[in-house]
Amino acid sequence: MGLVEIAAGKVLSSFSAFLFLTILLLAVARRISTCVLLFSLQSAIIAAEVFAVGFQERLAEAYVVGALVFLIKVVAIPYAFFRLMERLKTVREVKAATTPTQSAFIAVAMIFLSYAAVHSYGQSVHVPADALAAAVALILTGAFLMVSCRKALMQMLGLLVMENGIFLAALVTTFGMPLVIEIGVFFDVLMGLLLMGIFAFRIRDTFEHLDVSRLRRLRG
Amino acid sequence: MRLALNVFQWLLLILAAPLAHGIIAQAKARLQRRRGASIWRPYADIAKLFRKEDLVPPSASWVFRVTPLVLFGAMASAAAFVPVVQGSALLASRGDFFLFVYLLALGRFFLSLGAMDGGCAFGGMGASREALISSLAEAPLLLGLVAVAILASHADIAGMVGWTLQQNFFKISAVHILAFLSLGMAVLAETGRMPVDNPTTHLELTMIHEGMVLEYSGPSLALVEWASAIKLHAMLALLIALFAPWGMAPHVSAAPLLVALLVYFVKVGALMALLAVIESSVAKLRMYLVPGFIGVASAMSALAVIFATLVKR
Amino acid sequence: MQLESGELPLSFLLLMLGAAVPMVLVGSRAKGARLLAAGMLIAACLAGSFVAALGFWRTSSVLMDFTGFTPFPFTLEIDRLSALFLLLICVVAVPVAVFAVPYFEHHCPERRRNWMWIFFSWFLLSMIVVVTASTGFAFLAGWELMTLLSAGLILIEGDSAERRHNVFIYLLMMHVGAAMVVASFFLFLPYSHGLDFASIRAGSAVLPPAIRTLIFLLAFVGFGTKAGIIPLHLWLPRAHPIAPSPVSAIMSGIMLKTAVYGFVRFAFDFLAGGPSWSGYPILVAGAVSGLLGVLYAIGEHDLKRLLAYHSVENIGIIYLGLGTSLIFLACHAPLWAALALVAALLHTFNHGLFKSLLFLGSGAISHATHTVDLEELGGLQRRMPVTGLTFLIACCSIVGLPLFNGFVSEWLTFRSFLAGAALMGTKAQVVLPLMVGVLALIGGLAAACFIKVFGVAFLGRPRSTEAEHAIEAPLAMRGGMTFLAAACLLIGILPGVLLKPLVALAQGLVPGAGVPPETLAITRVLPWIAVAVIGIAGAAALAAALGRVRRIVPAWGCGLPTLTSRMQYTSTAFSKPIRFVFSAVYRPDRKIVRLPADQPYFPVSISYSSVRTTSYEKSLYRPFANLFVAAANQLRRLQTGNIQVYLLYIFLTLISLLIFLRFRG
Repeated sequence: MGLVEIAAGKVLSSFSAFLFLTILLLAVARRISTCVLLFSLQSAIIAAEVFAVGFQERLAEAYVVGALVFLIKVVAIPYAFFRLMERLKTVREVKAATTPTQSAFIAVAMIFLSYAAVHSYGQSVHVPADALAAAVALILTGAFLMVSCRKALMQMLGLLVMENGIFLAALVTTFGMPLVIEIGVFFDVLMGLLLMGIFAFRIRDTFEHLDVSRLRRLRG
Repeated sequence: MRLALNVFQWLLLILAAPLAHGIIAQAKARLQRRRGASIWRPYADIAKLFRKEDLVPPSASWVFRVTPLVLFGAMASAAAFVPVVQGSALLASRGDFFLFVYLLALGRFFLSLGAMDGGCAFGGMGASREALISSLAEAPLLLGLVAVAILASHADIAGMVGWTLQQNFFKISAVHILAFLSLGMAVLAETGRMPVDNPTTHLELTMIHEGMVLEYSGPSLALVEWASAIKLHAMLALLIALFAPWGMAPHVSAAPLLVALLVYFVKVGALMALLAVIESSVAKLRMYLVPGFIGVASAMSALAVIFATLVKR
Repeated sequence: MQLESGELPLSFLLLMLGAAVPMVLVGSRAKGARLLAAGMLIAACLAGSFVAALGFWRTSSVLMDFTGFTPFPFTLEIDRLSALFLLLICVVAVPVAVFAVPYFEHHCPERRRNWMWIFFSWFLLSMIVVVTASTGFAFLAGWELMTLLSAGLILIEGDSAERRHNVFIYLLMMHVGAAMVVASFFLFLPYSHGLDFASIRAGSAVLPPAIRTLIFLLAFVGFGTKAGIIPLHLWLPRAHPIAPSPVSAIMSGIMLKTAVYGFVRFAFDFLAGGPSWSGYPILVAGAVSGLLGVLYAIGEHDLKRLLAYHSVENIGIIYLGLGTSLIFLACHAPLWAALALVAALLHTFNHGLFKSLLFLGSGAISHATHTVDLEELGGLQRRMPVTGLTFLIACCSIVGLPLFNGFVSEWLTFRSFLAGAALMGTKAQVVLPLMVGVLALIGGLAAACFIKVFGVAFLGRPRSTEAEHAIEAPLAMRGGMTFLAAACLLIGILPGVLLKPLVALAQGLVPGAGVPPETLAITRVLPWIAVAVIGIAGAAALAAALGRVRRIVPAWGCGLPTLTSRMQYTSTAFSKPIRFVFSAVYRPDRKIVRLPADQPYFPVSISYSSVRTTSYEKSLYRPFANLFVAAANQLRRLQTGNIQVYLLYIFLTLISLLIFLRFRG
């Protein structure tokens, strides 16, 4: 087998190791720019997995989708985030509700939980358990980010990480058939993000800050 | 023959240790666009200190005087567990990595006691902070080693090295990455490098390790500095042996051993350069942020253990 | 009674402790009488250790039957497990008694000294009865006597209201635990036709699973109360600090171990492992006790309370080993079960040695300086060299540093955790290796605590005039402490002495186990480590001392002319970083009082107090206590004082008996 075949075969299982690393680092990161870079790294890994699936199953559209993922999630969205951060002139710190140690152990618990959940399912269907567990863990991490961080930018990022997880789960269970589903979910989230970006400006202009916890003052 | 080789490995770890400090200092200097001192300067420092007087505070008891000796003895004995050029070590036995970590703890215990014996605030400050950091850092250190031990199904360092030698380099698994990262962070905490502690500072309020050795002078200070160099060298050699042992001689014969020695120097030089880059790029963490740093290392090593047991299923 | 090889010394032991010592002391008040009594006690304990050594190293079992003299069956039998604990009791009692001779002379009120010795020897006797009993009645009688006599020993030294309150809580909790132990014995009765241990073993083979689980849980909680696992540890920091130091040493070093003996007897001997999930609650209890015990200890600056909390921590470590062993038993891995059991039992023995040494050291400190508050001590090493050296050896042992005995048992415990990774397909495969991290954290925090203890108390400069004028302890005290320190070092460097018979003991309790190779490996490598460390240190000393000058020079003080002893770190300051990081565990009640209150910018005095309250009292014990009191209040309504109502009660009882007979027949 050529090197490319070996690499493609290894990508789906070995790269989940790096995905778990990005999950851990996302949970403990303390600057928004670090989180955006980690997200872009995650998306690059997922793009590589799309390419690997396309190479293995000999699907032409997989390459197209992979290129799309790379262009939009690895290049365009992080660039947009950085521009947004510059124009909003917001504080660069992630104000998480838990200390780094607690977040790290919560991330470990989430990874363990995703493995436990996938274990019973992965044996009945022919699915690489590592990649599916990584997908579930990504979804949980996205949810955790949205819950624990108070900045609106982090909420957007959490949503994007969740979308990464859903995309990966769809990829792993269907092996790229059909890719239309993934494109559909993808554009959904893109629309949602554009709307949130617009609203971030409106919120900031009205209230002078982007702190989600202060929304609590809007009670009757 | 094997005994002679093991003794040679042990002596190499002890005698080349000050060179480790020298190389890292030179690398940091170059990164800061300075010429830097020669890499052989620590040897000159040790020789100079051996010629000087030994000054002792008036309140000190024999614990103060015996501490550098016990520290040096413990570190040097710990170095006897680490394989360098061949997959065996002088005092290798089953379950010896616990013994390795606890010999380091023996040295650190006595160093803290010696610091408290000085009778002034700096020693107490250094000992108190070191107590915080080292009590937390033992867990990721041991858990990371346990993760590799579970993967290798061996409980001794030589066995783990032998197992890793038989693995393919491209089969890097999540366990290895996580264990290497968490062990690396634990080594930074244990040996007192950035971002946990600044080894070159002499501002009293930022010292941890330097605060504990402030009162020592003359031959005692030489022994203490040499012991901390041995600790750093032994831990770096352990990391190399566990995670990148390829190049070690498979059996005891002259040519492979020479090659292994050269490969070892290249590897440890690369690791020291990496350490210098890390030390030059991050700032020292505020003391109450260090437990967060170590907590992340603990979580990573716990995850490595979980993955290792999952792999074994 | 037949006079076999072990019978004679055992009878001598019992006779001396039970009868001879009190008879000598009842007569006269002279110091000579007390010296004679102490000598007889020591001779008795030496005979006891001879018997125990025979039983432990040679498996000659000794049987003594007193059933003729007592209303219930009362037999003493020494098998290997009993021999281990008997050895522990006698080996620790000898140096403690030697220590106690001058200690009681100086610290006990005049008219009570004889009673102190009488109670002391009876206390030892009761513990010996507990570990050698082979009928339920003997065990429970010894158990009860142990509690009462230790309470008596505490009260002899002084009975102020606060001491009586603490003793009340101690007796209350001990009796709740004893009730559970009694219940767990009696639950065997329908199946075993008798409460001697042989028939209990036979009867446990036919126990239904529900009863088995119930007995296991009752034994766990009952013995756990005596052992001091969290949250049943409340009595430990109240009772141990107020007892005289030799008594604290015996209580912490030996009495807690009788609870471990009882639990091992029940779980491994009677129940053969209990239900299949039995290891996990023990493991969790051990982990929680270990962590919380050491965290509470770090926050203390009263030396004896600190040592009491460390007993909680070490009991936690022992329970970690026991839980691991039970898990391996349930997973059918007898070799590893034996290893974990050896680790737990060795830690029991080691803890008896070094904890009693630590308490004796605190006794020597209070003898010299009349205080055990760490904030008032300092610089004692130069004034009390032998005490300092033995205390240092005890500190190194309890921290678990190599070359001292605590390391061997902790290493074996670590090794058994690591072996858990070989159990395929069970929960334990993931849980046990993670316990390595927990034990490493416990060990690290214990090291931090003892650096604080030894550093603040013995090193540096004295923080009070009492510490400055401290004098070395008398010869007998020093002798007792030196013996224990030497034992710690011996087991630390040559553990094979104890490990071989311990492995045989574990093989007896865990059927089908081989010899774990780890025990042989550690026996082989530790002497080499000792040679290496001491040899290199010696070589370094030679190199450093060749013609070097040593000068005494004041320490660097930023150029200030005089450094006072108040400029050193105090115990509270030393532990502050750790207490800050673990602040979720400590919930101190902080109060700052500024006087006068109406002039905040010109205070005359500011006082700050920070008192840590134990949350268990409020959240766990108060509701129970309130529940009981409420139930008792309800029951009090039955007592109306009206004689016709009492006659009605008798009448109702008769009617219900008739109805019961009708429906049964």
